[in-house]
Amino acid sequence: MKISVNWLKEYIPVTHTVEEMADKVSLTGIESGPVNLGEELTNLVVGHITSITPHPDSDHLKVCQVDVGEDTDIQIVCGAPNVAEGQYVIVALHGAHLPDGIKIKRGKLRGQESNGMICGLDEVGVPAKYMPKEFENGIYVFDEPQTPGAEVYDLLGLKDKMVDMDITPNRADTLGMRGAAWEIGATYDEKPTFKQPELDNSKISDSQDVTAEVTEKELVPDYLLRELKGIKVGKSPLWMQRRLWNQNIRPVNSVVDAANYVMIEYGQPIQAYDLDKLQTKAITVKLAHNGDKLDLADETKVLDKNDLVIAAGDQILGLAGVMNGSVAAVDENTTNVLLEAGVFDGASVRKAAQRHDLRGDDSNRFEKGVDNGIVDEALVRATQLVDQFTEAKEISNVITGNFTKAEPTVIKGDFSHINHLMGLNLSNDEITKILKRLGFEVAAAGDALTVTIPTRRWDMSIEADVVEEVNRIYGYENLPNTLPAGMETRGGYSKKREFSNKLRNILLGAGLDEVINFSLLSKQDVEDFNTIQTEYTKLLHPMTEDHEYLRNSLIPGLVRNVAYNQARKNNDIGIFEQARIFDRPTDQDRPNEVEYISGAVSGNVVADSWNTEAQQADFYYVKGLVEEMLAFTNSDAEFTFVATDEYDNLHPGQTAKVLANGQVIGFIGKLHPNYQKAHAVAETFVFELNIDLLFGLNKKNVKAQSAPKYPSISRDLAILVEKDVENGQLVADIFANGGKYLRDVNIFDVYQGKNLKPNHKSLGYHLEFLNPNDTLTDEEVEKAFTLVKDSLVQKFNVEIR
Amino acid sequence: MSLNDTLKNLRENGIDEAKRAERLQELNDLRVNLLGKKGPITKALRGMKDVPAEERPEIGTLANNVKNDIQAAIEEKMSELNDKLVAKKLEDEKIDVTLPATKQVQGTRHILNQTIEDIEQFFIGLGYEVAPGYEVEEDHYNFERLNIPKNHPARDMQDTFYLSDELLMRTQTSAQEGRDMEEHDFSNGPLKMISPGVVYRRDDDDATHSHQFHQIEGLVVDKNISMADLKGTLDALCRHVFGENREIRFRPSYFPFTEPSVEVDVSCFNCGGEGCRICKYTGWIEVLGAGLTHPNVLKMSGIDPQVYSGMAFGLGPERFAMLKYGVNDIRDFYLNDVRFLEQFKGVN
Repeated sequence: MKISVNWLKEYIPVTHTVEEMADKVSLTGIESGPVNLGEELTNLVVGHITSITPHPDSDHLKVCQVDVGEDTDIQIVCGAPNVAEGQYVIVALHGAHLPDGIKIKRGKLRGQESNGMICGLDEVGVPAKYMPKEFENGIYVFDEPQTPGAEVYDLLGLKDKMVDMDITPNRADTLGMRGAAWEIGATYDEKPTFKQPELDNSKISDSQDVTAEVTEKELVPDYLLRELKGIKVGKSPLWMQRRLWNQNIRPVNSVVDAANYVMIEYGQPIQAYDLDKLQTKAITVKLAHNGDKLDLADETKVLDKNDLVIAAGDQILGLAGVMNGSVAAVDENTTNVLLEAGVFDGASVRKAAQRHDLRGDDSNRFEKGVDNGIVDEALVRATQLVDQFTEAKEISNVITGNFTKAEPTVIKGDFSHINHLMGLNLSNDEITKILKRLGFEVAAAGDALTVTIPTRRWDMSIEADVVEEVNRIYGYENLPNTLPAGMETRGGYSKKREFSNKLRNILLGAGLDEVINFSLLSKQDVEDFNTIQTEYTKLLHPMTEDHEYLRNSLIPGLVRNVAYNQARKNNDIGIFEQARIFDRPTDQDRPNEVEYISGAVSGNVVADSWNTEAQQADFYYVKGLVEEMLAFTNSDAEFTFVATDEYDNLHPGQTAKVLANGQVIGFIGKLHPNYQKAHAVAETFVFELNIDLLFGLNKKNVKAQSAPKYPSISRDLAILVEKDVENGQLVADIFANGGKYLRDVNIFDVYQGKNLKPNHKSLGYHLEFLNPNDTLTDEEVEKAFTLVKDSLVQKFNVEIR
Repeated sequence: MSLNDTLKNLRENGIDEAKRAERLQELNDLRVNLLGKKGPITKALRGMKDVPAEERPEIGTLANNVKNDIQAAIEEKMSELNDKLVAKKLEDEKIDVTLPATKQVQGTRHILNQTIEDIEQFFIGLGYEVAPGYEVEEDHYNFERLNIPKNHPARDMQDTFYLSDELLMRTQTSAQEGRDMEEHDFSNGPLKMISPGVVYRRDDDDATHSHQFHQIEGLVVDKNISMADLKGTLDALCRHVFGENREIRFRPSYFPFTEPSVEVDVSCFNCGGEGCRICKYTGWIEVLGAGLTHPNVLKMSGIDPQVYSGMAFGLGPERFAMLKYGVNDIRDFYLNDVRFLEQFKGVN
């Protein structure tokens, strides 16, 4: 809420600029900013139109002679439809500055001299939607005579200075001027003073027309009404109007304005009804029936049984705490009025306002809470103002639908504990003084402290609240910087995080960039890579179809990244992501969160350059990345790669499952050509590994061994074998027959093509034998080598070359 | 010619020949020819028997000197020729060092992870455990245990993706607080943890909003935790992240799960507090929210707020990275254009 300094001065002395106040209030209480209205405005004065003649060359322009306090009247040409002789108006003199950089100069309008401009409110800075409706299409006209030539700024609040307080939900006590005065007053150690509103007792009558009943008493702790009869509705005084439009409230009439004014003054919303428009005089606050209708000025809301309404019989007057209908609106013909001050349950108001999309000043206050202690006083104040403006003949007593006496909150605490929580050592007197500045009552008994909190600070309930009040008013800038001084603790990552960092580092070392993708995917995405065969997990209320399901694979995100990059000519891409996927077993609502590391490589992995030849990404490059990660798991598991064609969106001939001791822990594969095409990526190879499963594998028990002292002996083996026999099978067989000294088998040549038997391939292996404890003899090696060859011939029908 | 003269001649010729040699092979040949067992010096010395006995030592010395002198001349020339050869080789091997390198590329950690890990390392150094929580969380931990009951207005501040009535995508890493507090054994000392991770809100993605972003929650619960501890800790953090000369300030704020609650501003690292575009001419930049753990939150975890107190803070790695590196659009973090990613090589 914007706190006008001129208004604030009625309660506390103000000696600082709004800039200083906004800074100080931000640091001690509520985030605030300075507002200086109309800084640019100059040369705006009251003008009195002494005569008007039609413009000789225009149908709609008029030539006005205007008294602007100078020796002679000045001539101004004006086109406003409502301009008339005798009016007191806003005149922008020659040289005047208006909002948006507009500058007024004397000149001629269709040949007639014009020495300025007669202005509408919106032309001098009051937003059109907050100015009185009657001036919407013309110039502003003062209700009462003013001094010609006098500046208009104060009359219209055009240069008001305000502190704009952007409250947190707990500080709705400052959504009224009086609450704000307490807060700013505490900041500057100034105690605010308020005038108690009083009614003209001679007008108070014991008779009353209406009755008030509240059916939902727990939702409506207070519901008070007063009738004013024989009123004459007119305009509210200018001082009130200008305060309202500067609060972004449009002045309407003297009754509605008074009600709105009291809301700003006290923070307590007030409603007004035309008594004669009520169907019956029995007012009830109750839950609506499904299908009840609330007529607003420009639409009709259909209500349901959750809506708390104000009703006169079957007539719905308003949605309690949210908005009144137009059915009993007060207008210029109203002669009897009913004023209402109620307190409505915040949650109920919040939901209703949300449901009907009707959030406003009233609901904003009830949602966050209002001061139960001033409901009756606010009603007195509203009654006083309406009476003052409309000269009521008769005022009723308070008609009570419900009333809950507000009690102050008593908080007990210890001075030492409060100091302890702040990390300060303030004296009891200092703490007491600060709390008294806030208008709290304090009783001290040794270390014990009892603070009595007035009802206006309903956010305060426990000792921690007192700590905050003392600390902020004392000044956070005065807190020392310390570190927690308790027992030493050992910090660090979890073992699993350290493990996954190892795997990330391998991929980073290999030159892959790390990416971060969204966890929420489209239905298509989760269907495309459901390789873990999980139940999908869906949001109840997704915002878009693109982000509707929890991801079951990191691959769709990575493919999107490859496509995004390749569309921008970043053709050579190596990326990986380490993140969670969501795996939901059929019998579970909650998905398991599983850490994965996945990657995608497309284009060249070694660039074409002056001294290197380009090397394209392929299955084996990605397999190399995966194998190195597996090596760094430090696991004793046996890792194997098994060809698979069961994943729809991967190439059926270039995909392998990765297994640890026979359990699937991930895959490597090339994207299916159709999938590549659909996603606009070049040939792309992907992998994924389940970190949780890898982390759970048994660790190797590494015992150091000296490097071998004895030389190794090697043999090369060239074979011709049918195309479909896999290298893995052959190597396993070689190891099975190579004896205990066979240390390593490397394939150094794979050839398929010309000059070979059809459907055959030629393979070359390098076998290395080593006895760590003795020099191997050729005979020993030859014996083992023969066994290897015999077995291959026998089992795989190979031809030794 | 006397033996004496013969030797002197041999010396003169030998040295001369050595000096004239142009190839190492010539010098090797010269050494063998002159100084070898079949060489002229050895041959000449056979005439020693004709030399009177008293002159023999003198001739012997001379012969040795001649050998040494020729040897030295050969070696000197050899070294000279060697130097030339090396110089030639070096000259031949000269390369253009301005040609591009053979690439040895390391990948770049995502800038958000770099930012997170920098902050993690800071807190690990202060004895904090890193404890990421669940991304799918119960309403109970995400809200109720943080003093945000159903119908609390604060639930509006965070529009939530629900999976069911009770399950949701966590809206804040604070959701981990309740779990950590109920698991912690205070007989082992204080609870000091940070919880980094992904959170989700029902926001439309634009330059400053993302339906998915990161947070780091920090929580310390012990017998003596104070606002001053919170301020000191965050002051040290902000100096670590934004530079040694930074200062912080607290402003009162509101979070349902802390009391007192503060927003934390850091003095502008761009202008040093003078006022500039980045700090919107205030000299300060809001970087995180913090406070003392609300007594209700402690109580719900079975911790007595009369004995223990806690401090908590929550910060946004996206915001930190955007501020520190001038990233203008939060969506850049999730588009993963490698040209964007790779500019952050090694920044943390």
